[in-house]
Amino acid sequence: MLDKPETETLEIFIMGKKYEVPRGLTIMKAMEYSGYQYIRGVGCRGGFCGACSTIYRLEGDYKLHTDLACQTTVQDGMYLTQLPFTPAGRKQYDLEELEISNNPLLDLYPELARCVSCNTCTKTCPQDLEVMDFVNEAIRGNVKEVAELSFDCIQCGLCAARCPAEIPHHHVGQLARRIYGRYQAPESEHLKERVEEINNGVFDDELEELVNLPEEELRERYENREIES
Amino acid sequence: MRTGKLNRNDSAEEDPYSESMRESIKKVEETREERLEKEVDMMDPDERDEVLNNFHPDYKEEGMRSLKVGPNRGDEMPLELADLLEAYPAVDPSEVDLTKVDYEVDVLVIGGGGAGTVASLWAIKEGIDPEDVLIATKLRHGDANSMMAQGGIQAADRENDSPAAHFLDVIGGGHFANKPELARALAKDAPEILNWHEDLGVMYDKNEDGSMKTLHGGGTSRKRLHSAKDYTGMELMRTIRDEARNRDVPVVEFSPAVELLTDSDGTITGALLYNLETDQYYVVRAKSVVMATGGFGRLHIQEFPTTNHYGATADGLVMAYRAGANLLDMDSVQYHPTGAAFPEQIVGLLVTEKVRGSGAIPVNREGDAFVYNLEPRDVEAGALIRECYGRNNGVETPTGMKGVWLDTPMIDILHGEGTFEDNLAYIHRLYTRFRIDPTEDPLLVFPTLHYQNGGIEINDEGRTAVEGLFAGGEVEGGVHGKNRLMGNSLLDYNVFGKRAGIAAAKRARETGWGELTLDHAKKYTDQLDNAGVDEKRKSPMLVPEYRGEETLSRSIDVL
Amino acid sequence: MRDIAYYPGCSLKEAAKSFEDSALKVSEEMGVNLKELSRWNCCGTVYSLTDDNLMKQLGPIRNLIRARDEGSDELYTLCSMCDNTLKRANSLVRGEEDKRDKINNFMDQENDYEGSVEVHHYLELLRDDLGWGEVRDRVVNPLEGLNVAPYYGCMLTRPKEIGLDDPHDPTVFDELVESLGGTPVDFPYETECCGSYNTVDNEEMVLNKTQTITAGAKKSGADVIITACPLCHFNLDSRQSDLLEVAPNHKPVPVIYFTQLMAIAFGYPEVNKFAEHAIDPREVLELKTKAGSER
Repeated sequence: MLDKPETETLEIFIMGKKYEVPRGLTIMKAMEYSGYQYIRGVGCRGGFCGACSTIYRLEGDYKLHTDLACQTTVQDGMYLTQLPFTPAGRKQYDLEELEISNNPLLDLYPELARCVSCNTCTKTCPQDLEVMDFVNEAIRGNVKEVAELSFDCIQCGLCAARCPAEIPHHHVGQLARRIYGRYQAPESEHLKERVEEINNGVFDDELEELVNLPEEELRERYENREIES
Repeated sequence: MRTGKLNRNDSAEEDPYSESMRESIKKVEETREERLEKEVDMMDPDERDEVLNNFHPDYKEEGMRSLKVGPNRGDEMPLELADLLEAYPAVDPSEVDLTKVDYEVDVLVIGGGGAGTVASLWAIKEGIDPEDVLIATKLRHGDANSMMAQGGIQAADRENDSPAAHFLDVIGGGHFANKPELARALAKDAPEILNWHEDLGVMYDKNEDGSMKTLHGGGTSRKRLHSAKDYTGMELMRTIRDEARNRDVPVVEFSPAVELLTDSDGTITGALLYNLETDQYYVVRAKSVVMATGGFGRLHIQEFPTTNHYGATADGLVMAYRAGANLLDMDSVQYHPTGAAFPEQIVGLLVTEKVRGSGAIPVNREGDAFVYNLEPRDVEAGALIRECYGRNNGVETPTGMKGVWLDTPMIDILHGEGTFEDNLAYIHRLYTRFRIDPTEDPLLVFPTLHYQNGGIEINDEGRTAVEGLFAGGEVEGGVHGKNRLMGNSLLDYNVFGKRAGIAAAKRARETGWGELTLDHAKKYTDQLDNAGVDEKRKSPMLVPEYRGEETLSRSIDVL
Repeated sequence: MRDIAYYPGCSLKEAAKSFEDSALKVSEEMGVNLKELSRWNCCGTVYSLTDDNLMKQLGPIRNLIRARDEGSDELYTLCSMCDNTLKRANSLVRGEEDKRDKINNFMDQENDYEGSVEVHHYLELLRDDLGWGEVRDRVVNPLEGLNVAPYYGCMLTRPKEIGLDDPHDPTVFDELVESLGGTPVDFPYETECCGSYNTVDNEEMVLNKTQTITAGAKKSGADVIITACPLCHFNLDSRQSDLLEVAPNHKPVPVIYFTQLMAIAFGYPEVNKFAEHAIDPREVLELKTKAGSER
């Protein structure tokens, strides 16, 4: 191990309690540094899973900030807590039985119509998605736009927690993406053809031969295989 | 996409890169044009061997020791894993009342990531009532490495490709150590898996005519890497999870399995869960158990940072090993060549191979390319370590970490402005948050602990050697031999999650419930006693220890 | 082709798609491109009369901000509900300084808005900008012999401050119908409320309204009713078919958007998608006009 460089420290308040932590840590690491061992409020630690939703305030700033603990550096005087869980109503559906000719998004989530376009969801989103825009596209039944605008959603649920219209945005986005992928995206013909060939045993003999090849011969085939440029 | 609000970290306008890093970047910029025109040659087999032997962490003897107990006695494996396998059960058998059964199910799935969720869906398709399935998971459903995969999933679905070509890449990439029948299953099932995903509504990247957009990965002979931007893992995991929710698959979260339960013959009959929030044990009686707990990145083998999620602590290996399962290739660890080495906050996080697949080349401190950008992962990782520590051509960060540049601005130059942000949205966001624009400046990278190549031995149905125990995903071994290729882990959890789920369902239909004991754990404890293992060592680990100083980023002592 | 900034509203993207389609077509014919705002949200649907809940004003005002930020000082609407909501929200901003400040303070990521955008209904474009002569010049199938009941409903004309016509005796539809070669019929319920959102939970009330309005139009000799409101259209069209189930002697009158009528007269009947209407207008239109003829 190399010597740790001398680090400056700063003060943060975790659920109201003051801790001194090295500057430059993420909120997640600062909490661990302060002695917390995570059970909830942690997941991938890389900005994919949405488990570490954090809300905080900064001194002299009226805003309630939202972010991911694993992707945000602590700041002096940060006053924070994490959300262990975000309750949001998710609707059960059968993708194969869904009535998609109307507006399936509004059918399953009629609360979408309660949106007053206050934009709180967009301001809340730690991914910086245009959440309010996709809610409005959902109201209009534009599944493709909802799917695309919501694609980078990590489903942390912060938008749903803050929404005055009580919309579960992340579930609406999930529904739209699946409808788009299943019913609206162009089908991949070459994939279907390949599946049929496999089911007809087209590749069985070749695979059987390879599986039983002695290592020397396999090695030779591997080293001489043609590589697509 | 509008990303105006990002980079909320630090409002200062100063350059995130240090002065010396900025100087090196200037050299990278100067050589860029030249490099755009001239590719680096692939290594020949001898040079590959040399790089691996001298620079890959797997070949560092001090990092390994041989196991003293159990089916793999005498096998070399990383110290950190050996310590967990040679450890006493965390559960005190006298604390647990096995006569009070909390759940009685046909199929118990341990692990709520990709493999476990796929297994549960296919067990249901195989005729098991959803009520008779249970997923027990340590964190939330879907909190898993599966969620984090960026680059893509391999499948030989294009006309110039075939499952045989895929097989050959898998087995050559794995240094011919793979179990051939597992590599065959992986390659052969792949197109069908993608077809299933299409039915579930996964949004793969496609051309307008519906054909799949595909790229090369390291060590592939055909462009067969399918992606969903660089959120491929997230798109698959959240879709599959959504389907499990639609199918009413019961999931018990924050309740990891801590020990398997067996009858007097050693057949698996259930598992003991531990509610992390209430400190209570739950006894589960099951006809079949699918182990799907994922890998061991959070063991920080040889002090490496990791791309892995918080729960990747080898729990499944520990439980299965005590119950008599054989482990394969545990000496082989995958270090992803390009983990973030800067800024400090994101050290170890993955910079997907898709970045290299899209044309970004690793470059040293002087701005020189030193390795072909798509060698198999172990070779590429070895070459980066050689450049930093063998040839001393690395770039040093203010905290003493070394790395090389990944010349990301090349991507938009090669493929047009906007390509990076559209196709690599995660990476773009990850760095923009810390005020680094990967389309303007290169990224500093160094290998990071990424994947457990080996694991519990299974057959091509996903059965382990222990009756009643099945396995799928990263926890199992044999599929990838000594080195997994990019895009084959998402595929693995789908193929073997499915096969394990089906096999588990079949067994559940044919057998009844068995008696519940911890006899196997007691026997294992006796072996530990005889081997003189330190009694204070307990496992499974469940969550890594990061409290206090532990959380500060680990500097790496590579050589 | 002249671009004008256009706010469609949600209904025109869904249930009232043929309202938009026909409007786009006839506009193009008159050399006008309705250029949709690149980003817009729901107008707020109904102008909120709650004095102390400014939250409901954010939706309409945000649209005006978007129009301004896209460089437009005029914004055109088609849906009379959206028109009404946007205009009234704009009046609020212009007239009530403390509420304007409060709204601007809340919308802290947007630049302040002070009412600079002028909202117009498409009918105002026809009447006040292009002029009826421009409309008349594009007619290839004059609607001779077609009796049209102009149904204004509430939103186009009330309240007076933002209404586009005399609330007691509006004439803009009559002028349009005449320009298209048809005959406007005098009709006592032309500004009667259709029942509006009571359609959700007080169906009977809406059925009564529908009966009064449509039977009144029939009695006045109307072959068809025109409207500028998707909700009025839903109530008078769909509810009329419900009405037929309880009142089989009712004589149905088809209800269409005024732009659909223009499309017929301009020779583009194919944009209208009349098959989706509950009371199919095709028979009466074909009988009375050359509705099927294209140019």
